[in-house]
Amino acid sequence: MDQSVAIQETLTEEESCIIAVQCLLIMDSITESRLLGLVERGQEHALFLFTHRRMAITGNDITLDKVVPITEDFVIEEVTSPDELAIVGSDTTVRVTLPGLELRLRLLFGSHSRLFLYEVDKACQEYDSETPKSQFVWLSKYCRSLKCLTGLSQPRNCKSAGINRVSFQPIYMGLLNYSTLNSNTKRKGLCMQHPRGQRKMARLQSRPAKVKGEARHDMVRSSSHTLSNKAQMLAMPRFGLRDNLIKCELLKNEEQYTYIKNFSFFIGTYNVNGQSPKETLRPWLSCTPNAPDIYCVGFQELDLSKEAFFFNDTPKEQEWTKAVSDGLHPDAKYALIKLARLVGIMLLFYVKKEHAEYISEVDAETVGTGIMGRMGNKGGVAVRFKFHNSDICVVNSHLAAHVEEYERRNQDFREICSRLLFRQLDASLPPLTIVKHGIVLWLGDLNYRICELEVDQVKDLIEKKDFKALHSYDQLKRQIDENAVFHGFKEGEIAFQPTYKYDTGSDQWDTSEKCRVPAWCDRVLWKGKNIKQLEYRSHMALKTSDHKPVSSLFEIGIKVVNEEVYKKTFEEIVRAIDKMENECIPSVTLSQREFVFKDVKFMEHRAETLTIHNDGQVPCQFEFIQKLDEPAYCKPWLSANPCKGFLAQGGEVHIDLEVFVNRSTATELNSREKTLEDILVLHLQRGKDYFISITGNYLPSCFGSSLQLLCHLREPIQDMPLETIRELTLMPQDSTEMNSVIAEPPLEIPKEIWMMVDHLYRSAAKQEDLFQQPGLRSEFEEIRDCLDTGMPDSLPGSAHSVAEALLLFLDALPEPVICYSFYQECLDSCTNVLMCKKVITKLPPCHNNVFNYLMAFLRELLKNTVYNHLDINTLASIFGALLLRSQSKQDITEKKKAQEFIAHFLINYL
Amino acid sequence: MAKQYDVLFRLLLLGDSGVGKTCLLCRFTDNEFHSSHISTIGVDFKMKTLEVDGIKVRIQIWDTAGQERYQTITKQYYRRAQGIFLVYDITSERSFQHIMKWVSDVDEYAPEKVQKILVGNKSDEEDKRQVATEQGNKLAKTYGMDFFETSACTNHNIKESFTRLTELVLQAHKKELDGLRASINDELYIADLEDDDNKRDRSVNSQKACWC
Repeated sequence: MDQSVAIQETLTEEESCIIAVQCLLIMDSITESRLLGLVERGQEHALFLFTHRRMAITGNDITLDKVVPITEDFVIEEVTSPDELAIVGSDTTVRVTLPGLELRLRLLFGSHSRLFLYEVDKACQEYDSETPKSQFVWLSKYCRSLKCLTGLSQPRNCKSAGINRVSFQPIYMGLLNYSTLNSNTKRKGLCMQHPRGQRKMARLQSRPAKVKGEARHDMVRSSSHTLSNKAQMLAMPRFGLRDNLIKCELLKNEEQYTYIKNFSFFIGTYNVNGQSPKETLRPWLSCTPNAPDIYCVGFQELDLSKEAFFFNDTPKEQEWTKAVSDGLHPDAKYALIKLARLVGIMLLFYVKKEHAEYISEVDAETVGTGIMGRMGNKGGVAVRFKFHNSDICVVNSHLAAHVEEYERRNQDFREICSRLLFRQLDASLPPLTIVKHGIVLWLGDLNYRICELEVDQVKDLIEKKDFKALHSYDQLKRQIDENAVFHGFKEGEIAFQPTYKYDTGSDQWDTSEKCRVPAWCDRVLWKGKNIKQLEYRSHMALKTSDHKPVSSLFEIGIKVVNEEVYKKTFEEIVRAIDKMENECIPSVTLSQREFVFKDVKFMEHRAETLTIHNDGQVPCQFEFIQKLDEPAYCKPWLSANPCKGFLAQGGEVHIDLEVFVNRSTATELNSREKTLEDILVLHLQRGKDYFISITGNYLPSCFGSSLQLLCHLREPIQDMPLETIRELTLMPQDSTEMNSVIAEPPLEIPKEIWMMVDHLYRSAAKQEDLFQQPGLRSEFEEIRDCLDTGMPDSLPGSAHSVAEALLLFLDALPEPVICYSFYQECLDSCTNVLMCKKVITKLPPCHNNVFNYLMAFLRELLKNTVYNHLDINTLASIFGALLLRSQSKQDITEKKKAQEFIAHFLINYL
Repeated sequence: MAKQYDVLFRLLLLGDSGVGKTCLLCRFTDNEFHSSHISTIGVDFKMKTLEVDGIKVRIQIWDTAGQERYQTITKQYYRRAQGIFLVYDITSERSFQHIMKWVSDVDEYAPEKVQKILVGNKSDEEDKRQVATEQGNKLAKTYGMDFFETSACTNHNIKESFTRLTELVLQAHKKELDGLRASINDELYIADLEDDDNKRDRSVNSQKACWC
């Protein structure tokens, strides 16, 4: 049922509803059914949302709820919530957004919804921002009934809804290429045919919200339409594409695994004029020499009582069913598969017992076209079923009466065709109409009469058995010839006299006052391939009614499945789709899988480039992901830039892999508790994971080493065996025992400190802005290398660089000069000089030495304050922060106290 | 006509580097075989549809890096598997010895319900055989697993072993499947295919297969 027809009825002539779908409008806690139409006028499109009662058939069934113009800012995107499991074949939820408006709609799974999305997308493409001639003025007339165009509902925040932007497009594009939709392509023409019933529209009330968009959203609209690889769509399993593809392919290859086998179908129709069965039906139903495989027997005017009409309940159903069952061919056993009845219109479907197992998907529907166009005194009932692999629909109809009403009969036929809908097994698929079936057998009292002839002329022709001549006056024949009804149906040659109207109980033509003209009211027509009519006749022997029954024997070629070939075909299709799908798993190549960073030094910036090339068949989203139990995707000394991104098909991205060891990582690397080793996991969304290993070695440095360790090193650190460094580092701090590794007693203070301080004392005591002006990075590196590898007489670089190196050194100490454990005590005693001094004496010897040494040096510097402009506060503030460090973040009071503490040592010794 | 619902789940290939995990996968999904060995550095997967007991089953087969240095990382993939192939190479005693270690890792990291089968690959290289069929049988018995000797090269026992593990997983989830048959849901994911990965849930508890 094309519901765009209903929408069309509410539009003006210039506007057309391209396509309509049933959908659910998702609101915070409830969902409501809506009819969603895509409406076009000229170049412009808008989405119309209607509330509706039942399945909307006419414009009266629907009420406009919202109008959403498809402007530049219009975005429609598929929404997937992380909370919901994505299920293949499930409905599609889309979000429609415009500034100030956000709608969530759930479209039913199936090709129709995809087609709809495709059309919407096309509409987006057609939107031409260059020529904003009318700016959706045509929508204004709908405004009065609504409050405004957009923003009717408050924008809602959809919590963390993940959006699939990338793959949305190719899906239905691909599908179209894939040809499931051939049968739907006529929709546009269809909805244009019904411009009747225009609604009186309100005048221009308010201008539609004029929307301007700066950045074009990179959505559906802008995705490339050239993607033709049908496999592309498989990257998105959400549309339930797989099953559809399989079905579609199976259908395409049907000829491979089916063969045609003939079966005989007996079709009978009998208007019984409200009578009960009074005689055997054998002459009618058992007139064939061989027992037919299938019987479809239709009755009209089964019961003319008011009870039957109003309550659709009649004892005649049982009576006639029994009569039919008794009258079936005696040479075979039959099973009654389905009985369908609407008031007096009844259809019985029997099948020979041995065929019963090949009958499936049996369904029955009825449509009334009688009084008020809906009641069941006229109308049709239909039974559909699948016999082997052929879809068959049998319709029994009783169309409008009276000679002159042939157009009404045509209309009844059309109504039955459009309104009689079978639900599909898969509820998400659109319902099946009668004509969608490969084989349609239509029987009934169609009520077409003989026109233009007087009753005597008719009777005369009958007398002469000139049925051919008489047939040329038959309304049905004429209407079919004019293409006004039963389009595509065939009827066999009529070689029997008209079946209406006789005096009941006789073969006498109607002798009543009305003296009806005889007519071929009762007919059998068919549509489909491989159908041969073997017999078409009436049965004069039956006299119960004012009609005579008619029968037609068909030989119908049915598609029978060769199970073996079917299985093979099915498997082949599945395999091909699996293959396609596997080819469409995102995939990349990496320029390098292993990176080695040799001889990395403290605070040395090192980088290598990793190139990712998307050699897969789909765009992909990549990201370095966390490993189990690790806080980040990589070790703290490593980083990858960018660490996530999007790669178009065939695209390339360069990732900088950077290694930088600073004070927070240096200590553990010095001691080799940690090594420069990491494995990055590069993950492709919906795809593979790649491992990239990073290895390297770190050159130990005095930076990041503890005072204790350095005091034990008489040689430059890099001349020491790594094992010694390791052991010394791991040695407990207050260890008084002589370490077995080092025979000699420790140095008073680390030689590195001495070298830096001595250098400054000797050459830079009068240096202006010492400790305040930054040094040079390159000079720092030279100083670092000097300290780590040798014991030169003097250090390279400017005084500022050496001063900065000293500060960096102090900053990198794993245990600050004033050990963490004394931190609080120092702060607490900062107001009392004696207390301060007392704390210092408690420090481990090397820390105590270093502290005193540094203070002495600073006091020396202060003697040259005239030259170097240093003062107590500056130095106390710089060194306070370095010597008195907290393990947690320091606040301003703490900083002040630390400064005060240091200041005591700078003043009092003056 | 086949039933309309699908089941999807994950199988994982585990075993030392070079035992032929990738080859088993390629043979099974694409019916291809490449004799050259390229180490899988990462985790790869392919899809395959099977019909078992009239149920359409889609399996996602994960091929993991066998090299030891990646094992800490590959372990995190175990818990998303419903079935595991433990693969060794019949021409490598060492790879057979390592099965024990693989099993203990699986016990530690994979879901309780996970189904395992033992696979001795490269059965075509009889002349280089180091692990007797009986040894494989015995080990499998010890662990209560099914055992197959396969050859990706000659396509021996490939489909059989994959089908068997699939059957085992189906059996293990029989209850849920029966529930499914009764319900109107026409599809089912045992594994959540759409693991959107920034959302990859790392807590062990919530890693249970999802039955809806």
